[in-house]
Amino acid sequence: MRRSLRRLVLPAGLLGLILLLALAAPLLPLADPVRQNIAGRLALPSANFWLGQDEYGRDVLSRILWGARVSLSVALAATIIAAVIGTLLGILGGYFRKFVELVTVRLAEVVLCFPPMLLALLVVTLLGPGAGTLVVSLGILFAPAFACLAYAETLSARALDYVTAQQALGAGPGRILLRTLLPNIAPPLIVQFSLTVASAMVLESGLSFLGLGVVPPSPSWGLMIRGARATMEQAPLLLFWPCLALAGTVLVLNLFCDRLRDALDPRAGGGGPAGFLRRAAALPGPALRKDATPGLLRIRGLTLEITGPRGPVAVVRDVGFSVAPGKTLALVGESGSGKTLTGLAVMGLLPGAVRVASGEILYTSRDGATRDLLRLPEAELRALRGRDLSMVFQDPSSSLNPLLRIGSQVAEALPRAPGRMARVVELFRQVGLPDPEGRARAWPHALSGGQRQRVMIAAAIANHPRLLLADEPTTALDVTVQAQILELLAGLKRSEQGMGMVFVTHNLAVVAQIADRVAVMYAGEVVEEGPVAEVFTAPRHPYTAALIAATPEGEAERLSAIPGAVPQAWAMPAGCRFAPRCSEARPACAQTAPPLQSIGPGRATRCLRWKELA
Amino acid sequence: MNALSPPGISAAPLLRGENLSRSFGGGGWFGRGRPILAVRGVDLHLARGEALGVVGESGCGKSTLGRLLLNLLPPTSGKVVFEGEALDALPAGKLRALRRRMQMVFQDPYGSLDPRRSVGAQIADGLLIHRMADATGAAARVAELLRQTGLEPAHAMRLPHEFSGGQRQRIAIARALATRPDFIVADEPVSALDVSIQAQIVNLLADLRSELGLALLFISHDLHVVRHLCDRVMVMYLGRVVEQGSAAAIFAAPAHPYTRALLEATPSMRHPVTAAPLPGEVPSVANPPSGCPFRTRCPAAESRCAEAMPPLEAHPADASRQLACWRAAELA
Amino acid sequence: MLAFAARRLAVSLALVWVVATLVFLVIHMIPGDPAELLLAQGGVAPDPALVADLRERLGLDQPLWTQYATYMGGLLQGDFGLSLQDEHAVADEIALRLPRTLELVATAGLLSVLIGLPAGVLAGLRAGQLTDRILSGIAALALSIPVFVIGTLAVLLLAQKLRLVSAGGYVPFATDPLRHIGLLLMPAGTIAFGLAAVVLRVTRGAVLEVLEREHVRAARARGLPAGAIIRRHVLRNSLTPVVTVVALHLGALLGGTVLVEFVFNWPGLSGYLVRSVEARDYPEVMGIVLVVSAIFVLLNFLVDMLYAVIDPRVRQG
Repeated sequence: MRRSLRRLVLPAGLLGLILLLALAAPLLPLADPVRQNIAGRLALPSANFWLGQDEYGRDVLSRILWGARVSLSVALAATIIAAVIGTLLGILGGYFRKFVELVTVRLAEVVLCFPPMLLALLVVTLLGPGAGTLVVSLGILFAPAFACLAYAETLSARALDYVTAQQALGAGPGRILLRTLLPNIAPPLIVQFSLTVASAMVLESGLSFLGLGVVPPSPSWGLMIRGARATMEQAPLLLFWPCLALAGTVLVLNLFCDRLRDALDPRAGGGGPAGFLRRAAALPGPALRKDATPGLLRIRGLTLEITGPRGPVAVVRDVGFSVAPGKTLALVGESGSGKTLTGLAVMGLLPGAVRVASGEILYTSRDGATRDLLRLPEAELRALRGRDLSMVFQDPSSSLNPLLRIGSQVAEALPRAPGRMARVVELFRQVGLPDPEGRARAWPHALSGGQRQRVMIAAAIANHPRLLLADEPTTALDVTVQAQILELLAGLKRSEQGMGMVFVTHNLAVVAQIADRVAVMYAGEVVEEGPVAEVFTAPRHPYTAALIAATPEGEAERLSAIPGAVPQAWAMPAGCRFAPRCSEARPACAQTAPPLQSIGPGRATRCLRWKELA
Repeated sequence: MNALSPPGISAAPLLRGENLSRSFGGGGWFGRGRPILAVRGVDLHLARGEALGVVGESGCGKSTLGRLLLNLLPPTSGKVVFEGEALDALPAGKLRALRRRMQMVFQDPYGSLDPRRSVGAQIADGLLIHRMADATGAAARVAELLRQTGLEPAHAMRLPHEFSGGQRQRIAIARALATRPDFIVADEPVSALDVSIQAQIVNLLADLRSELGLALLFISHDLHVVRHLCDRVMVMYLGRVVEQGSAAAIFAAPAHPYTRALLEATPSMRHPVTAAPLPGEVPSVANPPSGCPFRTRCPAAESRCAEAMPPLEAHPADASRQLACWRAAELA
Repeated sequence: MLAFAARRLAVSLALVWVVATLVFLVIHMIPGDPAELLLAQGGVAPDPALVADLRERLGLDQPLWTQYATYMGGLLQGDFGLSLQDEHAVADEIALRLPRTLELVATAGLLSVLIGLPAGVLAGLRAGQLTDRILSGIAALALSIPVFVIGTLAVLLLAQKLRLVSAGGYVPFATDPLRHIGLLLMPAGTIAFGLAAVVLRVTRGAVLEVLEREHVRAARARGLPAGAIIRRHVLRNSLTPVVTVVALHLGALLGGTVLVEFVFNWPGLSGYLVRSVEARDYPEVMGIVLVVSAIFVLLNFLVDMLYAVIDPRVRQG
């Protein structure tokens, strides 16, 4: 936010300067902009006439500054009229719908049927040229754009819960419109306002250039360009000055708009280029590891960082776990625990803002060689994706490209060969999609949520992967559909021999159902790892115990909640990250960050007091 | 005064919904788009201080029902009677005045607070709209509400984005409580929250209910949460009530095949799911099946189920419960 | 798909009718008598006999609805009335000049998409890098220079100083194809300059947005190479916003030809319009505004069809 505001200073300053010059024109020691001086016709710049004299010997500098007054005041007046009328119509139409909507918004849409310049010319025909006509015609011209924008914004804002909440509180329409809706739809309208000022200036100068706008001898940039055109061969500078003034002012206005939009809408303004267009590996160093003991997947010391306002922030710190062939590991944790990022790091699909700081992800492929995925070049990692490693995502409706048939999307995962579509149909049958032949030609929007997730799973298992990462694959689904998908995944584990699975979830009950081992994550760290049955019956970390107790199951009259909230990534406690919310914390916990220590065969915890608490 | 009224349930119904239906869409310039029946013929009653849970999957109409009860959406047919007054017959001004006594808590704690106004101002809104306090009185009440919902009075000056999801939900609850309502609709208030935070909010709602004698309509897709908080449960499927009764009885022995399937499909840490999952998915609301809406997925469906919608009738073995199933007697 | 097309076409035709009615009403409902206005030269009150004569000739003495019926009936037969200045048929003049303007617009539109689209994709894929900064900088500049300024400067620089091309004019294609194209390129290029910048910016933004979408990540997880991802999952999805914005700018484009035709002496519809506006020749202005608006509405109909081709969800209506 602060950076985008700083970027706004330059165009805002320039804009202020232009406005100031235009305002101050009568106060400045300028020559009369309309006094002719035939002797000084087309004179070059001189001490008295800094920018020279025009075809009637008038002072060009004076005409430029006075012209700015005309251009800006016409543009501003027209924009203000358009903004007030348009916004009013749009908000009323969007809020009251029905009849009001019909009258206001449809009217605006009809006006938008006329190309803008044409509409302006029509008005000029009716009213005759002149600055007043210009203001009216530009006002009519730009009001519909405001109306449509305000209408769309109002429609989307009034569906928001906080507007409904106002209604539920008993607020009247006037109060809702003024106190709740208007402030919240203001930012795009403000941007539209400055954008419209620029367009109005361009249109005004265009009409004046045609001789249908400002009436001579009043100075106007469009008129000056029109005049200079006749003599441009002898005096090209005369053409240059008004062109520069006009283009420069519009440029400053446009720049101001862009920066204003960034400042008002912090989401906009992309980061760097897309991650997958890079060729390099996440970390330097050799990828092939001859010394490592083969296993399916072993992660050690994985640390992921984002760049915060005050330097790098570790969002995942020192995460480690392993997955054996044919086994399922559940990565469980609440939002902000880093479980999804850990999964994406394995696939090399981290978003551009997240950087791998250190660690290793050792993967043993079919040929028995063990490679560090973090050090594998993108091209080689890509060769593993969709073949050895595959992934199913949380939201099946956004994971499919809406513009491509689902069969063709699943086929992308398969090698180009005849019979590819037959294999797709076979996969659809395997994941239990009804009417697999017909479905292969269906568009994604024709499928239900559960069916889309089946399609995603079909694509994921197309090449018999050795490791399947499932990132909250049932969270977006209904309970009865979740049960189907969990059963499907359990069935695949049996049929796809030796396929390991990492199942990312926030739901402990789902973990109990699907996983062999569980790694519990909290605030970017693994706090406990072990076999599911053991961890759930005898947790060795207070967070795991508290999470189990907080799950609303069983007969207890009252749920046991964990006080407080997960700390923000840039404000992590120095010692144990769970200590501030832990009922068992001692002063020592706040001082030293405990390591993940082994506490028995296949079990580990990150708690100083695990022995006392056991 | 509500704070003084004794907890527990009184006999007189505070709120009644009679044969409520609501459809969306339909009409249009070229007559395209069939109307979507989101809620179909729902009857319900809620006593003072009672907590009713409404449970169902997406598209069952539970959220629409909540909004109908508060008249945030007018019903297409049927009516809502609050303490003897039919809401749809009230003039706009009277209805707005009555809103003091019924409030709402929304699902998304991020969308339900105005991002541009301080939380104190938003909590005070109701007080000022209904002229229940002047500025100083409102400030004192805001401080009291913040304390009551587990926040600090100093938080009143801050903007919503400075709070976590759980804290925002506390703020939303404080806003709903400001005018001392008798009745609150809570529309999935914990489903956007993490488990550990969810427990905090469920406990807070339970405490407030017993402290203030609030009547609560608790909408949720999570059966476990409902079981913790509610006296009575209503199970909905595709716009209709398929089963209702006391929470304890329904959870102990679900009678409708859908309720059963829903309970069986809900994963549990203690007893793993063993039953085969229900086939298929909830049909589109725009194109519901004939007869019983559940028959397309029901393991016990017969040909008669396709013919007509079964009425909601008393459970064959327990008159305090009701269910809508042609085979209720055989399956009981 | 057919039902969708039919529905959209019906809406478009209704819009054309509304536009025609509106133009009629605006001309006839404004205070003041067009005949009087037309004859009033330099503030001198016109001769009442002349005014009455003109009123009769224009049919202004008849009731409004009769005038409307006559007007609409004429429109249906392609009759836009006679010019007030020299009594030629407005429809004939439009038929002569409209193809020239459409040729200009089509060439400019084609040029701007051919330049703007690839440049926008490149800038989007290289966001933040030098290529992107240069392209985006040029686009920001191009967007800020009004089209008549570019045109005038181009004439000054290319025609008068460097004598590379002629300053403007028109030669029918049948007479001299090469010269026709040469004369077409200057005004078309001038329009395309700004429009290509618009296309570039929208394409860049759309590509950046699509790159962030889940389905792109899912395609990567399937192991698709970068080229295939861009082709199948980025480009096509980026087209929808580009089409939207180009459609929105079509109006500005059609209007912009007024200035460009003026600068380059291109004898299209716009010069005719400017002349009619100056002379306040109502039948001419009405005819031109109506024809251009109808073309605009029909272009928007084609754009809707284009949406349906790109996005299967739109076809369902």
